Amino acid sequence: MRSRFLVLSIILALLLASSSGVANPGGKGDSNRDFTCGGSCHGDPSLSSVSTAEILINASSTAFTGTATEVSISISGMDLSENNLVGIFLLGSKNGNDDHPEDHGWQIIQDPNGGTSNYVEMISDADSVTANWVLLAPMDEGIKEIFSSIHHGSIYNPNNKAFIGETEGFIVNIEPVPENYPRLQEGWVSPDERISGDSSPIIVRTVNTDSLSVLWRLSGETQSHEASVEIIEDQVWEVSLPATLGDTRIEYQIIASKGEFNNQIPWLSMGTSDPYFDGTSLGAKIQSLSFTLIILGFMLSLQAWFSTRGVKKLVDHTNEVEESILDESGDYWSRLIPSDQNPGWLWDPIEKEWVADPNNPPRGEQ
Amino acid sequence: MYAIIFHHMVVGLAAGAGTLMGLCAILAWLSRYVSNLESSQSTLDKASYAASILTLVTIPLAMFSGYYSVSDPASSAILYNKFIFSGIALGFTASYISGRVRFGSNIWDNSALANLQMLSALFALTAIMILGSIGSKITLGESTLDILPFWPEFMNSIVINQWMSMFLLILGISSVLFSFRIMGDKPISDLD
Repeated sequence: MRSRFLVLSIILALLLASSSGVANPGGKGDSNRDFTCGGSCHGDPSLSSVSTAEILINASSTAFTGTATEVSISISGMDLSENNLVGIFLLGSKNGNDDHPEDHGWQIIQDPNGGTSNYVEMISDADSVTANWVLLAPMDEGIKEIFSSIHHGSIYNPNNKAFIGETEGFIVNIEPVPENYPRLQEGWVSPDERISGDSSPIIVRTVNTDSLSVLWRLSGETQSHEASVEIIEDQVWEVSLPATLGDTRIEYQIIASKGEFNNQIPWLSMGTSDPYFDGTSLGAKIQSLSFTLIILGFMLSLQAWFSTRGVKKLVDHTNEVEESILDESGDYWSRLIPSDQNPGWLWDPIEKEWVADPNNPPRGEQ
Repeated sequence: MYAIIFHHMVVGLAAGAGTLMGLCAILAWLSRYVSNLESSQSTLDKASYAASILTLVTIPLAMFSGYYSVSDPASSAILYNKFIFSGIALGFTASYISGRVRFGSNIWDNSALANLQMLSALFALTAIMILGSIGSKITLGESTLDILPFWPEFMNSIVINQWMSMFLLILGISSVLFSFRIMGDKPISDLD
């Protein structure tokens, strides 16, 4: 009976000691994910609830096989948590597995954050956000569907639930690409960032393109400028975009042309990363120690310098005082006159008084 | 894991001791000019001296624990700057202690040496404040120095070539030895 009680107590203590789980309120970062992350955590109805958000997919209802097309997802009416974070999925299905658009023939050239993921996390501004993906359409013709899903937290959320929103399929009719239609080469991906200050050109690979022009603009600007483009080999183009600094994003639009066709690729963007840092751990230690010693050496030298220059004059007059005392003392004893009538006593003619002779003290005073 | 916990603890001690050292040294220096502080000079001097010794012990401990708290301690300029400013703080703290040990509490009676002593403490305190601000920039994304109208660019660092650093190290050792040598020629009882 006692052992049972003990076991039950231990189990109860362990249950009480367990912490409540909260599913990544700070997000998990951009990545490739299936619908509701493959059904884990947020797929559980007891851990999730329906979002109030309105989600709209905006894209061209037709696309040529293997050509670039833009999918824009607008989300509004969300009741978000304090960090205003929302996770957005671009999906080819909502099965919980093989939902990535690439499982359905699409290829992501660029996601809204500059990468190539089908799941991105964005900060919402005024409870609404728009996310744009640039995709290459599948190579097989026919009807394709694109879905979107979101998840987010909420300020009033006592049960720490995830709020899930999802769309119905957006139908895109994939048509055969016209013969000699200029387009980007399959597999070409836009670089997501360049190092700060780097002005090296980006390489664009195309198919069936006679001429290529590129427009660029800084993120947030409306006026665009034409970039310099050079062909370096057949269907390979070198595009010179100006260097960027800090956290600037540059956007560019590729226009591939051949004959009557003029394929205007959706705007792509490229971020700026910090320059490569070439410091080493050993170098940091040596540099730190050398700074310590140089500062110490310098300050010790200053201390030595100042201590020899001013201190003695200002503070230490001991020797002078002692010397003056000795001088005064010598003058005093030299003026005293010994007396034979009063042995042991000296006569001070100035003060007119008898003083005991320290070298021959009067009798009885030793 | 323990390095991170230890680092948090030691950093707190280093910052506290460094602040006490700096403030007490500045007040001890001010007591030469402010008559109300004159009677507290001895206490301020002793407090500053004790705090500087604690600072000298805790800064290297903070450096070691910080080194083992991150996977690659020199992977970014901001972490590299922590090494450099730790070295600067250590140099000025050691200078402060050296002055106090050599000249005793009478150091405050000499104008030039008192100024030098106050500057050592002030620079050590400034370096410690910058270290703390860099640390909180890394962990919290904001820092005490954010109140300033400008923020020094600690995302960049001056990386000196290792051979150049070795040369500077030898130069530093030589200068310390030379300074001790010339201090050895000077009678230490000058201020007594």
